[in-house]
Amino acid sequence: MLTSVPHRKTWRKSKKTVQVTRSFPTFPSLNAWEEFRGLLPVDGEPNPGVGLGVEEGLLCQMVHSPEFNLFPDSVVFESNFVQVKRGRNWIDINKAPNTVALGVTSSVPCLPLPNVLLMARVKWHPGQSQTWNRPSKAPKIILRRILPLKFVELQVCDRLQRILRLRTVTEKIYYLKLHPDHPKTVFHFWIRLIQILQTGLSITTKDPRILVTHCLVPKNCYSPSGNSKLVQKKPQASHPSESLLQLMAKGESEALSQIFADLHQRNQFRSCKKMKIHKICTEKYTAREDSIPCTRDLSWRESFTCGEWERENPSGPQPLSLLSTLAASTWPQLAPSIGNSI
Amino acid sequence: VGKSCLLLQFTDKRFQPVHDLTIGVEFGARMITIDGKQIKLQIWDTAGQESFRSITRSYYRGAAGALLVYDITRRDTFNHLTTWLEDARQHSNSNMVIMLIGNKSDLESRREVKKEEGEAFAREHGLIFMETSAKTASNVEEAFINTAKEIYEKIQEGVFDINNEANGIKIGPQHAATNATHAGNQGGQQAGGGCC
Repeated sequence: MLTSVPHRKTWRKSKKTVQVTRSFPTFPSLNAWEEFRGLLPVDGEPNPGVGLGVEEGLLCQMVHSPEFNLFPDSVVFESNFVQVKRGRNWIDINKAPNTVALGVTSSVPCLPLPNVLLMARVKWHPGQSQTWNRPSKAPKIILRRILPLKFVELQVCDRLQRILRLRTVTEKIYYLKLHPDHPKTVFHFWIRLIQILQTGLSITTKDPRILVTHCLVPKNCYSPSGNSKLVQKKPQASHPSESLLQLMAKGESEALSQIFADLHQRNQFRSCKKMKIHKICTEKYTAREDSIPCTRDLSWRESFTCGEWERENPSGPQPLSLLSTLAASTWPQLAPSIGNSI
Repeated sequence: VGKSCLLLQFTDKRFQPVHDLTIGVEFGARMITIDGKQIKLQIWDTAGQESFRSITRSYYRGAAGALLVYDITRRDTFNHLTTWLEDARQHSNSNMVIMLIGNKSDLESRREVKKEEGEAFAREHGLIFMETSAKTASNVEEAFINTAKEIYEKIQEGVFDINNEANGIKIGPQHAATNATHAGNQGGQQAGGGCC
């Protein structure tokens, strides 16, 4: 029985030995929970994430399969999307009934937040429900790429149309529309995930049950005097080199400098090509989204250095799957927005 | 150095002169036939940027073979081979087959690394060597297929335990094997309109 009273609950995954303790805060709207009633995990009942197709889905099954055997102890949060492009309206990029399975996971389960993005192509059989995660006839799923999340920016592009904007550090931009078969709850999960990826998760620093051996406060939040203060979100960089210098100063440095050096070369190459095309073709030229030069706002990459929770190699094993903890903390916080939409 | 171009040429039989940098890992696959057996090669195209090395090295595990690629027109890529080789050997199965590839053999006029130097490096470190051109497709098929053949021979000799999937080899439903092959070294690129 769900109440609005805070309580704690232990969620043991049947397949894995991971045990997650959940902490539910008070919720403003009990009605909001009505829609969720039955979705929250109760001992002996199926995991609601599985029911919604966001956990233990096709992507998860594939990366955990012997063929890949990747991140075996980490939870995968995933959904199906259709790649679209901007026009007067959003247009599907492919005519074929292909969907993109997009997921996040953690390279090691003890990381407090996901650090890996998974992308796969799913080819469905005609007439097959495209969100059902355990179909009788398995669709063909092809893992295409694994991206470190620190080199990816996820944004909500169009809430009504349920479209996410995925931008890589190499300025590749994809628009991904949540598959229509997914309930709206799933898009709220993505919104919440994006918020968490951008701003962090308070539970990761406050939950005493999570054994964290390092300070999670971003390094650059500390002043030399020892007084900590919040770093304000910087305004959009006015000059490209300014952004780059900021990044260099923050120590992300080598990876980015090499990427941008290469990008500049590539963009110069592309610019030359475009200029040639422009000379030949006098029609008005509109730059493609995927060829946007790297001199745009780079402030989002500040998150590269923004805290211990992004570390690739934690100093020691921790007992909890903190990605599960993330999921756990996400559920209740979604409730108000769901309540608002009722 | 053109790893992603090599992969694209092998899987799609096409060449794209401009690619985005590979971040993380991209995947390609192709069915080949060796000794009358259908074998699916699953190829992991890892980021070549030195700075991604800490990320990519975590994916070496479970590879049955690797292509270590340098660019014959860039001496620095050849000079870095030793460290990449050490990395690959340190983080992978000791039996992993490694093919050394000198790519961009079509750019003979800009060559900075002699073929003999590649051969000597391969000999010294016990690698198979081949020069390829992803642009003209020269030796691309051979590079991947010879690597697969070498893996296959090791399976026949019992070097690889096919019952242990950690070796990157899986017997399929009709005795079709999957060989995980990694393309390694600097400068991989891949592009395309669709994300998947």
